[in-house]
Amino acid sequence: MATEVTKAPALGPTFLAGLWKENPVFRLLLGMCPTLAVTAAMKPALTMGCCVIFVLFCSNIVVCLMRTLLKPHLRILMFTLTIATFVTVADMLLKAFMPDMSEALGPYVPLIIVNCIIICRAEACASKNGLIVSIMDALGMGLGFTGTLCVLAAIREILSTGCVFGVPVLKTIDAGGWFTPWAGMGMPVGAFVTLGLLLALVNIISKKKA
Amino acid sequence: MSKILYFIKQSWLLVVASLGFGLILAAAEGALRPRIEANQQAKMTRLCKALMSEAQDFKVVKEAAEISHPKRTITTNILQGTNAQGQVIGYAFVAEGPGFAGPIQIVIGADRTLETLTGFRVLTSSETPGFGDKITQRYYQEQFKGAPYGTLELAKVGNPETIDRQIVAISGATVSSEAVVSIFNTYVDSVRTTLVKEGLINGN
Repeated sequence: MATEVTKAPALGPTFLAGLWKENPVFRLLLGMCPTLAVTAAMKPALTMGCCVIFVLFCSNIVVCLMRTLLKPHLRILMFTLTIATFVTVADMLLKAFMPDMSEALGPYVPLIIVNCIIICRAEACASKNGLIVSIMDALGMGLGFTGTLCVLAAIREILSTGCVFGVPVLKTIDAGGWFTPWAGMGMPVGAFVTLGLLLALVNIISKKKA
Repeated sequence: MSKILYFIKQSWLLVVASLGFGLILAAAEGALRPRIEANQQAKMTRLCKALMSEAQDFKVVKEAAEISHPKRTITTNILQGTNAQGQVIGYAFVAEGPGFAGPIQIVIGADRTLETLTGFRVLTSSETPGFGDKITQRYYQEQFKGAPYGTLELAKVGNPETIDRQIVAISGATVSSEAVVSIFNTYVDSVRTTLVKEGLINGN
């Protein structure tokens, strides 16, 4: 009887999948809460993205290393324990080195614990593959998530304030220019509308490619 | 015995992982706590300086001063701001009260006799963005700067540029505006009483 040999996924496609084909926000529709909540400006969006990369990277490594020891009925508990530890470390690092950003992000840093991207990747990849594959998956997904947050934040910040990273790029009427800031883009309604339009754009591009 | 063995077999990884992660967190806390506390102290100093621009140093003159409240025990530390010559400029203290979306924590400043308030700055708040979070904006905070000691009242309409005991509410954020006024009314009188008892200010 022939035994099936499962080949380890290739590293390049694993990494690239998180950036587009399996982008966590645009394709998997995961992590919607921080995507909508922290993308009013670039700085908090980038900070949140970096926190998620850190947590994904560390939790994928730990889950991968203990994957052969995991009991099936306790695996979710182990994943949550692992993720919660690294989120707490990330929160402390933010409070120590970027206290203003920690304040700006508020409860959304501790909420990374329940971000579905991280537990999804632990379950779908880290608990089933080797160390290098898990690391590449974490980096790909993390960078895909961060890139998405940054795109959304750039659009919202420019349209709501005329600035990017607080640096003026469009001259507003108050500054003697032509641009009238759209206050709504800085509010939840702007987040939903922008995300919806970007999702539609991604779907159109994907359909054309197919 | 077999039940215990079964339990150990099922849960050993969980126990070992919990201990391991606990150690990681303890190490991170030990390494970062001094820096986090220094940041909190720096923030407090920055906020106090915003309320007392002439003050250079701030020191706690009364720890755990009791604040009179009908429902619970509240205490706060009172800081004294002094200039380079050691002259007292004013006092500041952290005050807290329930807001619309959660507790609001503010730093209240007053002059050296506590006859006049120098305003407040928000330490922490989770008020609704675009509405209640306008308590952090200068046009609302300026109403408290120079306000006389005494019970403050919230008004829905009025002139916010007039400095008196009447505070004009933020449009669409009456609860948050009322929360800040209520915090002042709860804390300021008790702090003044404490400072008079300590002999730091004249009671007359």
